[in-house]
Amino acid sequence: MYIVAGVNLSEVLTAENFAVFIRVVFLASAGFPLFFFIATFAGKATRKKLTPQANMLLRKGIFYTGSICIIIAILYQLGFKMTALLGAAGIAGIAIGFASQTSVSNIISGIFLISEQPFQVGDLIKVGDTSGVVLSIDLLSIKLRTFDNQLVRIPNESLIKNQVNNITRFPVRRLDIELGVAYRENVRHVKKVLSEIAQKNTYCLDEPEPLILFKNFGDSALEFLFAVWCVKADYLRLRQTIMQDIKERFDAEGIEIPFPHRTLYAGSVTEPFPVQLIGNKDENIKSEEEI
Amino acid sequence: MDIWASGMSLDLNKLYRTQIGPLILWLKRHFDEIHIAVEHCEDETFESETVAFSPEDETCKEPEDWKRWVVGENGNTISFLPIMPDRPVVVRPEVPVIIPEGHEALFFVSIPVWVKIVVNDKKELVLCEAPSVVLSNIWFGDTMSGELCYSLRTKARRQILDAEPKPHRAVCPVKIRNTTSSQLDIERFCVHVEYLNIYKGTTRLWTNEVCINFQGEDSANKIHYTKKPPEYETVEGIVGKARTVLKKTLLKKSLGTFKLLTGI
Repeated sequence: MYIVAGVNLSEVLTAENFAVFIRVVFLASAGFPLFFFIATFAGKATRKKLTPQANMLLRKGIFYTGSICIIIAILYQLGFKMTALLGAAGIAGIAIGFASQTSVSNIISGIFLISEQPFQVGDLIKVGDTSGVVLSIDLLSIKLRTFDNQLVRIPNESLIKNQVNNITRFPVRRLDIELGVAYRENVRHVKKVLSEIAQKNTYCLDEPEPLILFKNFGDSALEFLFAVWCVKADYLRLRQTIMQDIKERFDAEGIEIPFPHRTLYAGSVTEPFPVQLIGNKDENIKSEEEI
Repeated sequence: MDIWASGMSLDLNKLYRTQIGPLILWLKRHFDEIHIAVEHCEDETFESETVAFSPEDETCKEPEDWKRWVVGENGNTISFLPIMPDRPVVVRPEVPVIIPEGHEALFFVSIPVWVKIVVNDKKELVLCEAPSVVLSNIWFGDTMSGELCYSLRTKARRQILDAEPKPHRAVCPVKIRNTTSSQLDIERFCVHVEYLNIYKGTTRLWTNEVCINFQGEDSANKIHYTKKPPEYETVEGIVGKARTVLKKTLLKKSLGTFKLLTGI
């Protein structure tokens, strides 16, 4: 009889317990890698058939479900009664629930996000001031990659509560350009030039047709809205090229894009603006002689 | 017309300039490589020609944007093959056409082809493709769904044989049948050219005939691509195969009779 730390080793190290130990080790060492392999294989097999988000859900679903099954099997092998465990889990759940309200809220929000699908993995979204590409939609949060390659983690709860702009949901986008031309310009001629600019730009779509709208008589200029359409992948290229095209073509046509300015009138357009010198009389005479 | 499918041998130390309509191809052979550069000009009335230059020729202005293909020492003969564009083409008549109820109309649409450059070795080796005319892009559908197509303005001729043939354009007969009880106002229609073969006729290139049955604004139109060559001219055979083999009749919306709303 061997006793170590008050434990009778002869009673513990029996053949039956050894067999249980072997089964548990086998389940853990073979089960988790097996389900990881199955999840990875399923992900690769369905990569082309499913969207990136559905693919990620499938992989994680297989792995987590398999892991839970293995844990239950291990607990069963160790002799734990599942009914008692579930009862204890219920009581513990209430306690944990109160302590982790935010996490549970994020999980519930995540489920709503997945079912509602306002965006998917790969979409470009804007949340508040943050814009980025969705890398993953997880249980508690989503991960974005910003344009300057930062990783941003946004809790699911804040996504449900706040406005989310999905910039790349639809296949085409419109680029709105507000511009102003001098009051002396011919409006029809400006519209014709803008139309030709849109026609010549490679990234600008013929349809939906570009919108050229004379919006307003502004303080310093005639205000136009020039809106052109492109496929979403060409948005940046269109923005870069069409701004340059507008400037070059306006310069070539002599169309002025005015600065904001104020014109002072001295009561009449043709009269010179009166200037009065204020100060010492002698200094005034001297300055008049210099003039 | 002789430019298509006829082999051309590339000699070392010579620069070749081939023009097919407005497309200009520069080619030269350097050891086991073929170098190709592509340019476009505005002149669509130009037919086709190939000119060879020697390196010392000062009249020749070489382009700057070359690409190189390693084809092996046996790759010294190339051919130009016509192929339809890689995306559907939205045809917009210059003057809107109206087809009354129960009537049909046949239009001849002249579509600019792409030029496929192949090396005539043991196996046909495709080097690259270039459009003879660079068409602008157009979205066919609404702003939430649709497909990206090329845009083509056309006279939508009813008679084609009187028109001047151009080597870089293939004539596509399109028959539109209005099976509804109201007029059909055609502002644009979409032709899936990737399903069309190109046939060499006596005067010009042809494609299969396309038949569109208009069944109403809210219904999908039945589109049928004939498998046999057109019968409007004697054809020698297929000179350019379709990009995609059509397996079944398409049920798609191909006619757009409404303008897209572009509210502010």
